[in-house]
Amino acid sequence: MKRILAAAVCAVLAVPATALPVSAASDELVLFTWENMFPQEVLDGFEEETGIEIIYSNFDTDETMLEKLSMAEGGDYDIVIADDYILENVIQEGLAEKLDTSKLTGFENINPLYQGQFYDPTDEYTVPYGAGIPLIVYDPTMVDIEIKGYADLWDPSLEDSIALIANYRVINGITNMALGKSMNEEDVDSIKETGEKLLELAPNVRLIQDDNTQNALLNGEASVGFIYTSQVTAALAENPDLEVVYPEEGLGFGIMGMFIPSQAPNKDGAYQFMDYILQPEVAAQCFDYIGYYCTNKAADELVNPDLVVPDSVESGEIVQNVSEEANEQYSQNWTEFRAACD
Amino acid sequence: MRRRRSSSVWMILPLYIFTIVFVAGPLIYMVALSFSQSAETFGVEWAFTLENYKKILEPVYLETFLESFQLALTSTAIICLLGYPFGYFMAKLSEGWKKKVMIFLMLPFWINSLIRLYGWIIILQNKGVLNFILQKLGIIEKPLRILYSYPAIVVGMVYVLLPFMILSVYSSAEKLDWSLVEAARDLGASKMKAFWTVSFKLTIPGLLSGIILTFIPSMGLFFIADILGGNKIVLVGSLIQEQMTRGNNWPFAAALAVVLMVLTTLMIVLYRRITNVKELEGIG
Repeated sequence: MKRILAAAVCAVLAVPATALPVSAASDELVLFTWENMFPQEVLDGFEEETGIEIIYSNFDTDETMLEKLSMAEGGDYDIVIADDYILENVIQEGLAEKLDTSKLTGFENINPLYQGQFYDPTDEYTVPYGAGIPLIVYDPTMVDIEIKGYADLWDPSLEDSIALIANYRVINGITNMALGKSMNEEDVDSIKETGEKLLELAPNVRLIQDDNTQNALLNGEASVGFIYTSQVTAALAENPDLEVVYPEEGLGFGIMGMFIPSQAPNKDGAYQFMDYILQPEVAAQCFDYIGYYCTNKAADELVNPDLVVPDSVESGEIVQNVSEEANEQYSQNWTEFRAACD
Repeated sequence: MRRRRSSSVWMILPLYIFTIVFVAGPLIYMVALSFSQSAETFGVEWAFTLENYKKILEPVYLETFLESFQLALTSTAIICLLGYPFGYFMAKLSEGWKKKVMIFLMLPFWINSLIRLYGWIIILQNKGVLNFILQKLGIIEKPLRILYSYPAIVVGMVYVLLPFMILSVYSSAEKLDWSLVEAARDLGASKMKAFWTVSFKLTIPGLLSGIILTFIPSMGLFFIADILGGNKIVLVGSLIQEQMTRGNNWPFAAALAVVLMVLTTLMIVLYRRITNVKELEGIG
């Protein structure tokens, strides 16, 4: 009975979904990613070179992207850029096109460090576009201790002074790391322990926010931030005296990847765009602009040296999908943690 | 006569279709979703379960409802205290002033509410306008840490929802038959007595519809807690949003939404029971 109801509901809902018209001329390329992922010159350059008009469509979170893409059944969009863990879902759901690398002359330029990752072990579907490492940044004039790793965030002297990004898996992950565990711990009891440890961090938290978290550091609302790479770069540009910490427990690593949806209306255009972005000069311009670690080996010499991973940095762990039970526990830890921050 | 009738059916039909497709459809979908399971990787598995509702009973999620309720109650109480006198006295103004005040009330609606909330950050932050003024006046020595605190959220809530209260009190006070107040005064009632027995009672419908218009949305307004509260208070709205997006648990989000909807419906029913005012119908 429920199934019939569900099917009926789906049928009802399918009407408005398919009724939406989507124009897909071959001289248009629908680019689907976060805001501000490309400098205007690069987009203009591509339009000039190929005559293809770029339609820049935004999403806020990876999950929104997946939601929209799966509703469009892999259509509507020509190029998507999103985070590693969601790419795994995209590929599993069959929403990504298997790449024909012969159409990508710049494929060799990719830094192998960022290839062969869990979400796409044989590099068949994705091209990396920047890597991010959330890092601890602090204002040494306002902090009495020297921060070396995640565990220092629990220091009582930091009461009501930390700005955190709002990513529940990453924050659970660094708590795991502070306890000497893997970011992707699967054991539910162990995750509950993580939750208890996380609760102890609550008194030190000033705010939890995903967007422009660095502002809190710059305007004095917070003295310590655990923030995304782009925000670290932005914060340093504004205040070079801030101290950046590569946490001693290890790094949480993230890669953004570019893929072509399986039913992309303009696949040829999409290949042209990918190849255009893989050119070293263009890539360097892009990474300078977005402030993420450079994933294009050939562009390393051209890009801001801060964006080339130093040799001392050992590759970190990527947040991966965990079992449903584990994920639910992480999610619950997070809600309890946020409620305790008040 | 017959022709007229058939043409009126055609006039109403689009409305019915619209309601069925865009109101009833999503509602049925949401309720169905709340009894299903979230799939391992992404999306939903259509298998019946009560697990989502059972999960809401866990203390952490129950507290979320309580927290939302408390915040809505606090904000609504403050809005009543500020909005009722404002709306009441606004109705007593001369026609010209009424228009001017109305324009000032509507003006902020021309600007996106998110942008207005970011304005509050500039006012409330450590190095912000409010602290600057208070420090210059010598009232405080150290800047107050108001931003990212509970009071900041209440300020935001009151700010966003106050106009709804003012407008609904105003519209009912404007309809008030002032000769009744005069009659009460002529019969020897003091100003206060005349207000409480005549004007206040006659404006109760406006006050109550104002309460509904502020209380119900404030149960769901989560972006204020995100922006001004630094995400440190978990409200039902933000929990639903988080479960829909990052948490990737649509069924649980749907269950939360169903419970929230039932609760708010109950409140409307309760209001109507208490007041037995027919005008309140159709407002929720």
